Amino acid sequence: MTQPVTIIMIEDDEGHARLIERNIRRSGVNNEIVSFTNGTDAMMHLFGADGSGLVQKGNALLILLDLNLPDMTGIDILKQIKENKYLKASPVVVLTTTDDSQEIKRCYELGCNVYITKPVNYENFANAIRQLGLFFSVIQVPPAAS
Amino acid sequence: MTAEALRRRSIWQILLFAAGLLVLTVISAGSVYLVNKARDDSKWVLHTIEAENQINALLLEIRRAESAARGYLLTQGEGFKADHEKAVAAIIPALDKLTRLTGDNPAQRKSIDQLSAAIEIRLGQFAQELDFIGQNRPDEAAALVREAASTGTTAEISKVASSMIQEEERLFRLRSVNSDRSQTLAASLTGIGSGLVVLLALISIWLVQRSARARDEAEARLRDAYANLETVVDERTADLREANNEIQRFAYIVSHDLRSPLVNIMGFTSELEELGGDIFRRIGGLTHVPADGPPPAAGEIVLEGPDKQLSADFSEALGFIKSSIGKMDRLISAILNLTREGRREFVPEKIDTRELIEAIVSTLAHQAAEAQAEIHVAPLPDLVSDRLALEQIFSNLIDNAIKYLKSGAPGEIRIRGRTKLGYAIFEISDNGRGIDPKDHQRIFDLFRRAGTQDKPGQGIGLAHVRALVRRLGGTMSVSSELNTGSTFTITLPITWNASNRNADQ
Repeated sequence: MTQPVTIIMIEDDEGHARLIERNIRRSGVNNEIVSFTNGTDAMMHLFGADGSGLVQKGNALLILLDLNLPDMTGIDILKQIKENKYLKASPVVVLTTTDDSQEIKRCYELGCNVYITKPVNYENFANAIRQLGLFFSVIQVPPAAS
Repeated sequence: MTAEALRRRSIWQILLFAAGLLVLTVISAGSVYLVNKARDDSKWVLHTIEAENQINALLLEIRRAESAARGYLLTQGEGFKADHEKAVAAIIPALDKLTRLTGDNPAQRKSIDQLSAAIEIRLGQFAQELDFIGQNRPDEAAALVREAASTGTTAEISKVASSMIQEEERLFRLRSVNSDRSQTLAASLTGIGSGLVVLLALISIWLVQRSARARDEAEARLRDAYANLETVVDERTADLREANNEIQRFAYIVSHDLRSPLVNIMGFTSELEELGGDIFRRIGGLTHVPADGPPPAAGEIVLEGPDKQLSADFSEALGFIKSSIGKMDRLISAILNLTREGRREFVPEKIDTRELIEAIVSTLAHQAAEAQAEIHVAPLPDLVSDRLALEQIFSNLIDNAIKYLKSGAPGEIRIRGRTKLGYAIFEISDNGRGIDPKDHQRIFDLFRRAGTQDKPGQGIGLAHVRALVRRLGGTMSVSSELNTGSTFTITLPITWNASNRNADQ
């Protein structure tokens, strides 16, 4: 029996977080969503107080990451996730306003699994998130390495 | 150093040179004159000595003649007679020579006259003596000798001769002094002259050294100023680049961060729209109870009177909000694209400009045909520059030219090029609607447009083109009148070098 996947959403804009959550739910995804509005809290949750990531051992995680955070850049978080032996297998979806090609390239190089630009047009935004939700409903996520 | 001082210095040097030349000339002339004079003086000294010698020689001959005559008188020896005759024969030539030698001196001439007279008398006596001896009358001859001695002819001769010698000696002293003086004068003139020349030369050398020093100082100052200027220019350039980069970063961050709240505004406005729909549907469902017939289909809003008005106002307000957000999003995207272009690194390569423009023209052929426009491309100079930037520049300008033709009239767009001093100058001219001169500056500003707003556009193209042209190290300008067409002129360096702009990216 596979473990239910927890969606970790790191997004500083509460409005965006609400819109994303609402649209994920609309696509029929009912997994637990844990939200963080800054990088420090998210890092604490992901890596634990000792920073080893042991705290997430055995949990199946899917990470939704915004790049522009008040206290650090999402790229740093992405890098640390992909360098951590417990977390590196967890899929990371970068969901941000930036559509700079350099930044996109950088994220994929660091191991991001999906990069999505938030369109201002709400139709497109809602569509993108719903499709992401559909993707979430079929994706197989491994538990964090033991 | 002031120009006045420079002028004064050069005048001084010319004056010095002239003075040196003058001194040299004076010295040379003086020396020639004095040397000649000294030679003359020595000649005269020599002449005096010669004259004195001649007097002595004459006296000697007379003495010889006298003593030989006496010897002959005593011994009747033929040898004495021959001696006497030889001496007598020498007397007249000697006297003549003396006359010639002393002819220049009136005093001596008088003495010579006296001397000649005395000698003539003496010679007469000699002849008589010899006659007497020849006739064998020695007593008479002896008497004649005695008489000659007593009448003082000999003494007269001696006296006149000695006075002449004295005169010559006086002349000798005088002339010697003269000669010495001339020589001393010549020597001192030469000495003083040489001294003066040396002095002038020293002053000249000092002046030359002083101006050389002044020139070196000026050169050093110039070099310093130049180096300083370069540093200042470098600093300013660095400051400007820094400022430019800051603006780029600022624009990027601002436009980027503006997007984030826009997503929320748009998102929740849409949510609100949906909510509004739900609310009005419910109001419709509550107020409009169908008395007969089927209930309204699900999702359909049935409202009446003020409720319908409310719903319409609600939709209108949301519509304005959404269209404004859409516009704002486009503007932000434009700024983002511009700043992104500003950060893009240029890759210079050799570009066949005509080929590049022909390619642009062929992609715009459809629009051109629609606008009944003909595009003529003249031979163009090739460039080494960034291909993408050039494509964007020319396609924007040609696109504008097609877009703003006069409606109804066939369009004519010409692209010409030439080179001048390392720059290529391109002209894109049309016979379109033209631009009012008061708008010539405005059209290059971001989000600003001119003329009738009947064509779609954001007011970005020309701002973008000008930014690109500037980054390529060129300039651009427009000349246009309303209704007569426009000419955009672009000046670009033929070879764009990466060092001037890319270094700071």
